[in-house]
Amino acid sequence: MRTALAIARKELSIYFTTPWAYAVFTAMVALSSFFFVGLLQQFKQVQDMARLMGWDHMPPDYNVYRNLTDGVVVQLWGTILIITLFVAPFLSMRLFAEEKRNKTFELLMTAPVRPIEIVLGKYLGGLGIISATLGLTIVFPVLLSSFGRAESGTALEWSTVLLGYAGLLVWGATCMAVGMFISSLTESQMLAALLTFVVLLPWMLLSGVAQSTEEPLRSVLAYLSFDSQLQNMLKGVMDVQSMVFFASVILFSLLLTHRTVEAQRWA
Amino acid sequence: MPMIEVQHLTKRYRDRVAVEDLTFQVEEGEILGFLGPNGAGKSTTMKILTGFLPPSEGTARVGGFDVFEQPLEVKRRIGYLPETPPLYPEMTVRGYLQFVGSLKGLPGRGLKAEVERVAGLTGVTHVMDRVIQNLSKGYKQRVGIAQALLGSPPVLILDEPTEGLDPTQRAEVRALIKSLAGKHTVILSTHILPEVTVTCEKVLIINQGKIVAYDEIRKLAHLHGQAENVSLEEIFIKLTAA
Repeated sequence: MRTALAIARKELSIYFTTPWAYAVFTAMVALSSFFFVGLLQQFKQVQDMARLMGWDHMPPDYNVYRNLTDGVVVQLWGTILIITLFVAPFLSMRLFAEEKRNKTFELLMTAPVRPIEIVLGKYLGGLGIISATLGLTIVFPVLLSSFGRAESGTALEWSTVLLGYAGLLVWGATCMAVGMFISSLTESQMLAALLTFVVLLPWMLLSGVAQSTEEPLRSVLAYLSFDSQLQNMLKGVMDVQSMVFFASVILFSLLLTHRTVEAQRWA
Repeated sequence: MPMIEVQHLTKRYRDRVAVEDLTFQVEEGEILGFLGPNGAGKSTTMKILTGFLPPSEGTARVGGFDVFEQPLEVKRRIGYLPETPPLYPEMTVRGYLQFVGSLKGLPGRGLKAEVERVAGLTGVTHVMDRVIQNLSKGYKQRVGIAQALLGSPPVLILDEPTEGLDPTQRAEVRALIKSLAGKHTVILSTHILPEVTVTCEKVLIINQGKIVAYDEIRKLAHLHGQAENVSLEEIFIKLTAA
């Protein structure tokens, strides 16, 4: 286990000594700020309108805009989810592909380290970097809670906000696990990033496909879709079934990565 | 018991045979020179010995442990310098050596001292805090050797350790390897033949995956030329010409 931690530490130190981490951080913050400001403006518009007409005369769709938690943060998490889908492949692509290209994979494989330790170490490093990336976005609810006002109680309902944030972290962890597996298949980082994206995006959109199919395929597809599994958590509803779903996807990806690394010995 | 024992080792990639029916052994403390033209199968053999590649047939044992059955035990006993030194360009020399030390499971307390020791042996002490990608080829190679020496493993497998070094550095590395004899069992592959005559007692010459000569240098000279002063180079060219 100590060697796994050493590998994780090395991964993180490489992310932070190259411009990669900072480029991804910048992309994440820039994009999410952009959407955050947009959401705030929309929130304000609806509030102004409601002040004129009264909430009773507003379309029921606008009810989410009655408070900052549902009107801004939950929607922001939904946006960051999509941004994560785009940036995570760029973080996961180098995990194994770079080692293979650099010939350092030979070092890992000839050191007295078990394949499982290599996989866990790499994954821990990946989790560290994706958590750091997502960690930056917690600044938005903090801003809202220090400057926002509510008619009753605190400006934000923190339990909802944090549960949604936990959902984001789980999503990030899933992207990294899938990305790591794909990175272990190739020497080319570009190919790893592209393939990861090509796997994650349609998987995310499965719920859309489900709409146009018949039962029982419909519920199966809806269940498998990342999108429908995440919706409840982002809204702050703890859902054991989704947790089990994501845990299985992560475990399965780790298992496949382990097999791929071990297959080296059988080549 | 020999430290390294290879029996009927064969490696095939689909229908191409890289190494065919190699049998040899290296006694404890011995330095074996491993020679052959490019593509003869030297690196493949070394990769099998270090457990990076599986053999197609035959067995290889290091310190009495089978490389395929008990890979961890074997890997604990081997320091390996691959053809391309396995370096992380973004890391400093110190950071890199400490990382490899912890991969090898060296205890945290002795790690710093051990890193300093191998850095001293390979002459990289004054570049310890530089980033590896900015080092010259010679220094990169030396960092690679330092990495193999970490934890002073009983067996060292060095794939062209003097590649990319200038004549002075080459002499230094040669002296270093020579000083390891007795304490370590070494397999050393190289293109530079005089190197072998200086550092090794025994040579193994392979060509197209097969052993063409395996003996002490003295005896080889005796076998292949009437003159006592026949060079290893002539023997090498003669044996690998076929």
